[in-house]
Order: sequence, then structure tokens, then C-alpha cells
Amino acid sequence: MDWLDWLLLVARIVLVFFGLLISVLLYIWFERKVIADLQTRKGPMRAGPRGILVTLADGIKLFFKEGIVPTNADRRVYLLAPVLAMFPGFLAFSTIPFGTGTTLFGRKIPFQLVDLDIGILWVLAMTSIAVYGVVLAGWASGSNYPLLGAVRSTAQMISYEVAMGLSLVAVLMYSGHLSFSEIVAAQDRVWNVVPMFPAFVVYLICGIAETNRPPFDLAEAETELVAGFHTEYSGITFAMFFLGEYVSTVTVAAIGVTLFLGGWRGPAPDFLPALWPFLWFLLKVTLVIYLFVLIRGTLPRVRYDRLMAFGWKVLIPFGLVWVLITGAIVVLPAELELDRGTVLTWAAIALGATLLLSFLPIGRSQRREEVPR
Amino acid sequence: MTAQEYAFAVIAAVGSISAIAVVTARNVVHAALYLVVALLSVGATFLLLGAEFAGWVQILIYVGAIVILFLFGLMLTKAPIGRDTLDNTHRWVGLLVAAGVFAGLAFLIQDAFPLDAEPFEVFHGSTSVVGESMFRDFVLPFEAISFLLLAALIGAIVLARKDEGN
Amino acid sequence: MIGQAVLPTPELVFEPLLPELVLVVFAMAGLLYEALAKRTEAVVHLSIGLVGVVLAGGTSLWLWDWDGPATVLGDAVSADRFAVLARLLLLVVAALGLLLGHQYFARSGDEQRGEFTPLLLFATSGMTLIVASADLILTFLALEILSLALYVLTGLTGRRAANEAAMKYFLLGAFSSAFFLYGVAMAYGATGTTKIAAMALALTGTGEAQALAVLGFALLAVGFAFKVSAAPFHMWTPDVYQGAPTPITAFMSAATKVAAFGALIRVLDVAFQALAWDWAPVVWGLAAASVVIGSILAIAQTNVKRMLAYSSIAHAGFILTGLTAAGSAGIRAAMFYLVAYAAMTVGAFGTVMVVSGRGEKRTRIGDYTGLARTNPIAAALMTLFLLSLAGIPPTAGFIAKVNVFSAAIDAGYWVLALIGVVTSVAAAFFYLRVIVLMYMQEPEPAAPSLTEKVGIGAENSATAILAIPAAATLLLGVFPGVIVGIIRDASVLRW
Repeated sequence: MDWLDWLLLVARIVLVFFGLLISVLLYIWFERKVIADLQTRKGPMRAGPRGILVTLADGIKLFFKEGIVPTNADRRVYLLAPVLAMFPGFLAFSTIPFGTGTTLFGRKIPFQLVDLDIGILWVLAMTSIAVYGVVLAGWASGSNYPLLGAVRSTAQMISYEVAMGLSLVAVLMYSGHLSFSEIVAAQDRVWNVVPMFPAFVVYLICGIAETNRPPFDLAEAETELVAGFHTEYSGITFAMFFLGEYVSTVTVAAIGVTLFLGGWRGPAPDFLPALWPFLWFLLKVTLVIYLFVLIRGTLPRVRYDRLMAFGWKVLIPFGLVWVLITGAIVVLPAELELDRGTVLTWAAIALGATLLLSFLPIGRSQRREEVPR
Repeated sequence: MTAQEYAFAVIAAVGSISAIAVVTARNVVHAALYLVVALLSVGATFLLLGAEFAGWVQILIYVGAIVILFLFGLMLTKAPIGRDTLDNTHRWVGLLVAAGVFAGLAFLIQDAFPLDAEPFEVFHGSTSVVGESMFRDFVLPFEAISFLLLAALIGAIVLARKDEGN
Repeated sequence: MIGQAVLPTPELVFEPLLPELVLVVFAMAGLLYEALAKRTEAVVHLSIGLVGVVLAGGTSLWLWDWDGPATVLGDAVSADRFAVLARLLLLVVAALGLLLGHQYFARSGDEQRGEFTPLLLFATSGMTLIVASADLILTFLALEILSLALYVLTGLTGRRAANEAAMKYFLLGAFSSAFFLYGVAMAYGATGTTKIAAMALALTGTGEAQALAVLGFALLAVGFAFKVSAAPFHMWTPDVYQGAPTPITAFMSAATKVAAFGALIRVLDVAFQALAWDWAPVVWGLAAASVVIGSILAIAQTNVKRMLAYSSIAHAGFILTGLTAAGSAGIRAAMFYLVAYAAMTVGAFGTVMVVSGRGEKRTRIGDYTGLARTNPIAAALMTLFLLSLAGIPPTAGFIAKVNVFSAAIDAGYWVLALIGVVTSVAAAFFYLRVIVLMYMQEPEPAAPSLTEKVGIGAENSATAILAIPAAATLLLGVFPGVIVGIIRDASVLRW
């Protein structure tokens, strides 16, 4: 690597970082607009055309607010926590290919910061590190509501990480790679969402839970816990939590697109070959985020014990069963000459049908709801 | 020195200092955080040796799961996590044992791998090499681990479960 | 490129692993039964466990005439007769443990726990795996499987003493596992492998001893010494044996020793055979410390379970005495001792269980006063097992002791044999004291629990189970020849 390579790398890092920041600004505005629309309001209108700069205004406001460190707080950890909450989202994004790449100064420039051999592991490592921000924030605040919020949130994130890991395992077993670029390359005929639909569903649910988004935002259930783990935070430190949460959401959507929705793949005309994949990627990420926003706007918050029961008793067994099915189909003997994608698709349909049938109230007495003790 | 050696010096220094800080910290949560840094430096050492998979798995498991569970356990059990709850009168014995182990290991390692020995060829363990080795040479231990975990899981449930009526 | 199966599958010869597979399958069956059945019957659990153990025993027997490769599954499992014999012994102990446990839960007033059978089967599978393991990584994993299951079994009743025992066992056990694992790492550093056969080759002909290998062995020895409760790593034994439910004590005192010694024998006589001059003094020291500490401290005990625990420490020392003789001679002595020890210790703890009654109230030595009047059968059984533990003819314990001492003398360690003989005499004191109490004194009239019986049927069937170890103890004492040939066949390790 000579100096030009390094320069290009730094340029890419800066671009990705600010790109993510801008996408978060737009995404928050987008979310507020969509939710406002769902509630037949207009949403933010003042800052910029149709209020598009509202997040920027909010950010500036938070930036100039006084940052308070509570008396009981453990100062160093208290200030470390928001940093730990913010960065994993950015770092996880660094392995995602968001385009085919282009050629500049006679060098090939991939639209991807680093193509790790083990992209999925990297993402899992980052999501698990993100938990630190929550735990430490809750503990370091030196106050009860944040601690409770942190305990809840940690339990939730650890639990759903398991199910998320299972959904990722199914995908990597099917595509035979741990690297994101190879996984996208393997989706040249059919996007993974078709044969891997059950894993996709598990992934989406876990993604929402991992980022503490509604309806799984128990960590900050304001009716019970004031604001959960970040109750004591204000000003710039609060902004960092906020930012971290939204960056993580964008990253989760981007990973979902990469793993299941073909990444940057899409029909492209001949001119500007580097642009179209990028646009396709953006479009898909936006659609996934739109889905997240719709879920937030329509579903009520889940009760905490049900949240954990759902994670452990439904998602994890379901994920395991799907991993089992995937594994069995992947090692089908080659002599059968079956297309594994097709078989998996049928298996997914069969699994879905079985689940639907089991929900039908046939020959089953009304079971009493378990009362939490 | 090569760039790799410089990097190793930095990582080793950071790891050692934070390892010492783990035992000298007066607060369990701080100790856990220093432990995170120490474990990260171990992971970084693996990465430096080209063992990408082992390095990231080290970070994923130890930093991402085990220390988190430490912290979670501390919070759930309301263990005393303030200052000055960690100290006890055996610290000098501990120091002695640690120093002894260090001396012994240092002697053994320099005995087994002297400084003027031929440097080892760095093994670039790609994920597929690790996978092949695991499922060919170590397939039985791999399976045994799953039974080990199952036994542990059952055990934990048996011990933690409250019987109805109790 | 989708879903390709690029990995060429190694040839999987899994038959030598059949006993473990059977045990694990039946353990899972027990779990599923507990989880899915609406009402669970203890008898069904017992049957699942017994069928599993018997089937595992059948597959082990079939392996006696195995003519395939000596080690299979990537050189991780040995298929020799040593493994078969050790497995069979373990399975018999497991069957006795299951039966005693069933009786215990039926009469002790503790709630029957559906996890008992699966956990015991898991522990047994770990034990049978460890005696066949030819790879230190697998040895470690098997050690952990059996240990974890035993920790939980120890605390199964949830009584205070049991919980405390489980906690102690777990903490110290985890510590010793760390030593063991460190030893594996050192041995790997010295030889570049964890397979014991390859390790033996790597260590042969190196001339001088390698510091790393010796240190690795020392750390491994710490781990093993803990598991077999050899002094000075015996601290946990009295507390755990006393606190655990008695049938589980019976099971683990016998089976853990068989398993851990089985693995230790492979490590000593295969992996580190080239370093025999380095490890023999270590084994010597452990043996001497164990016989002395176990025998002396047993004298001071007032609780029968605790006394038997110290006696088991001493017996670990006697077995180690036999193992100072490298090679087949030491293995023969140790194996015979293990068979005899398993029979008499299961029997002794089983009798303690019969006598102790509901809630294990009567485990003090004083409770045995005049037992010959109140429960003559139990008193007779106890006498037999105690005589055998003391090493008095015509019991198995006598022959076993003669074997290990002569093995040690043949190998030139007559000082150790002398220490063993002297401590045996001292140890006879506390065994005989119990016998004297049982036969020569009147029962205390104020002991109400003496007459308290849960039902004559339960009492009798528990005693009937003990007929098996009693018969073995007598048979091996009078006609040791019945098993000598088998042990000779099994004492050759294939690798």
C-alpha cells in the first residue's frame, strides 16, 4: 500500500462516517414524518423545507445544553458509556458492501471499508459490545431507574442476540461464507430472503429488539422507568445515545439488506455502472427502515415478561429448528441433483404452514394465561 | 523491529497494564472494564498473528458475552459494587503466587523458545482452515462440548429452579 | 457456489464410542420423558436408566473383541480392552447408583427429581468416555462432563448441607480443571500435540527431560489428584461426601475414582511413559501423602460418611502406590484395586444409606451402636465392607492391597509399600471401632429413629441391592483368580 491507498482509505472512512451521520439526520426526520402521517398530524415543519432540518436543529440544541454529571455517578464510566453506545453501530457498518465499487486513479475502489473474511463475526462482536453502553450507563448513573432499565435492557439484548445469531448461522450455512461480499455475490440468482424467509423474520424481530426500538423499547419504558438507562443523561451525552441507537438501526437495516435482500443487486442500465448498485442499496435500506417505522407506529409496547418469554420460548427454538432444517438440506447428497434453494423454499413454506395451522383453535381448549409472579 | 513487532509491543503493554489494573482496581465494575481491555489485547495478539477467526471469536466470546454476564450478574445479585469491598488479607499471598507463576512461565517459555531460535512461520489461519481442522481432527471434542454444555444447562436449571410449592 | 459440501469427510469409525452414545441417548430420553409426560413415575425413570446402562454394557462387551484400528475418530478414542473393562466397572457402579438412588428418593422423604437419572447417565457417559479417551482435549471435556453432572447431583436435594457441598465441590473442581487445562496446554507446548499416542512418540528419545513436558505433567497430576481425591488435593472430599445424598456419594466415590484413574493410567503409561523417571517420584509423593493423611484423619471422625471419605483418600493413595510401577504390572495392580474398591465402597455407602433413614438423620458413628440387634443384616453387610476396606482376609480388599504393595516392591519402592502397610494397620483401628460398636454394645434405648421404618419392603429391597457388592467383595477375596485373567488381558494399552 502506498500513500495514495492510505489516502483513499481515509477518504472512504470519512465519507462513510458522514454518510451515516447524514442518513441518521434524514432518517429521524423521515420517522417523525411517517409517524405523524400515521397519526394524521403534519410532523415537524419549521426547520428547512418541510422540516427536513429538524434533527440538525435538535442536535445543535443538545450540543449547547449543559452536560450534567450526577453527584452519585461514577464520572469516568458515566462519560465512557455513551461513547461505547455510539461506536459499535458505526464500526459494524464498516464491513458492509454498499455498491460494486469503481475505478479511480487506476485503482479499484470497493464500496466497502474493509472486506473482512469473517464479516458476520465482526457484526456479532459489535452488537455484543453495544450492550456495554447500556449496562455501564445504567450502573454509572448511580440511580435506581437507570439501573433497572439497564438490567432489563441487558437481559433483552443478550437474549435476542442468541436468536439473531441463529438466524445469521442459517444464512451463512446456506451461502457457505462468512464474508459479506461473498454472501452478496452468492445471491446472484435468488435473494436469500426467498429460501431463508424464516431466518429473515427472526432477524428483523431481533434487529428491532437489539436496537431497543419500539415495540421492544423496554429499556426506556417511560411509563415505568422515566427514561430507562439514559435517564440521567443530558446534552451531548444524551445525543450520543440517541445517535448510537439510530446508527445501529441503520446498520441493522443495512445488514439485513446485505444478508437477505441481495445487497446492492438490482437491474441497472449501462451508464454509470457504479451508481446504480449504490442507489439500489439505498432504496432497500430505506424500505427496511420504513418497515421499522411502520412497526413502531402501529404496535404497542410489549410487556417485559412476555418479551423475554417470546425471545426464549418462541424465537430461539424457532431459530434452532430452522438452523436444523437448513443444515439438513445443505448436506443433502449431491446425487439427488436437487437445487438447495428450491428445497429450502418449500421447507420454509411448509414450516410457515405448520405454524399457521398450530395457531388455529382446533381441538384445543382455551388455555389460561400464565400470570407472572 | 518490524511494524508487527512494534504493534505487539504496544498491545502487550496495554494488555499487561490493564491486567494489573484488573487486580488493583478498587471497584468491581472498573475491574471488569480493565478485564475487557486485557481480553481485547489478547484478541488483538491473535489478529497480529494472522489468526483472524480466533481473534474475533476471542473478542466475541470473552468481551461480548462473558464480561457482560459478569456485569449483569453483579447488577442482578446486588453484589457490593462500591469501593473497598474487594480487598482482603490474602493479597500478599496472591502476589507471591502470581510472581512465582510468572517466573516459572517466563523461564519455561524462554527455555522452550529461546530468543535466538529460528522464528516460527506465521500461520495464516483462514476461517476455512480452522473449520476443516475442527471438523476433521477435532470432531469428537466438538461434539463432546455440546454434551458438556447440555449437562451444564440442565445442571443450572436444576439448581436454579424453584419447585412448585416451595 | 451455494451450499457446497467441500469438506471431505474423514472416515468415521464410531463403534468404539457406542457405549457413550447409548448412555447419552437414554439420558435424553429421560429428559424428554420428564419434560413431556404429564405425570412422571419414578419407576419409568429407573427403567430408562437401567436399560441404558445395560445396553451400554452390552456394547462395551461387544468391544472386547474389537479388531478394528486401535484408536478411532482422529486418534481421539482408544478401542482397547482396558477401556472395555473400566467401562464395564463404571456401568455396574452406575446401575447400583441408579438402584440405590431410586430407593433413596422413595424412602428419604425428598422429592423425586426427574433429573436424577439423566444427570447420572451424563456423569456415567463422561466417565466411560474419559477411560477411553486418547486425546487430552477429549479427556478434559469428559472430565468436565462428569464433574458438572456430579456437582449438580451433589446439590440435587437442595438441602443446606448438600448445597454447601455442591458449592465447595464446584469451586474447587473448577480450580482443579483450570490446572488440568493448563497442563494440557503445557504438554501441547512441549510436544505439539494433544493426542497421547503422538505425545508418547514426541517424548521418546528426547534424552533429557523437557522442562515444559514435566511441568505439563505436574499440572495434569494436580487435576487428576483432585479428582481421585489424593492428598494434598483432598480438601473437598470429606465435605462433599458428607453433604451429598448418600447414594450419590456411593456412586461418585467409586465411579469418579475408576474414571479418573483410568485416564491417569493412560496419561502415565502412554503419553508420558518416556518420562517415567520424572513422574514416578510425583506419584510416590502423592501416594504416601494420601495413605498417611487419609488414615490418620479418619480416626478422628465422628460421622460415618466423613470417615469413609477419609478412607477413600487413603485408598486413592493405595491405588497410586500400585501405579508407581510403570507399565502393565502397575496397571494390573491398580485395576484389581479399583474393582475391589468400587465393590466395597459402593457397598459401604449403600449400607450407610440403609441405616441413615429418612432425611439422613443417622450418620453419626454413635448411631451404629448395637446395630446388630436392630438390623442384623445391615450390620453384617457393614462388617463385611469395613473388613474389606481395612484389608483383612478373606475379602477383596486384602488381595487388592497385597497386589499394589507387591507391585510397588517389584518396582523398587519398598519404602512406600512399608508406609502403606503401617498405615493399613493404623486404619484398621477405625474400621474395627465401628464393628465393635455394632456388635458389642447395646443400642441406646432413647433412639426413636431406630424403630422408625418406612416400610419393610423398601428396607429389604435396598438391602437386596447391596447383595451385589457384598458378593463381589467376598468372591474377589476368596477366588481372586476369576478376574485376574480378564485384568491381564485388559492391562495392555493399545495406542
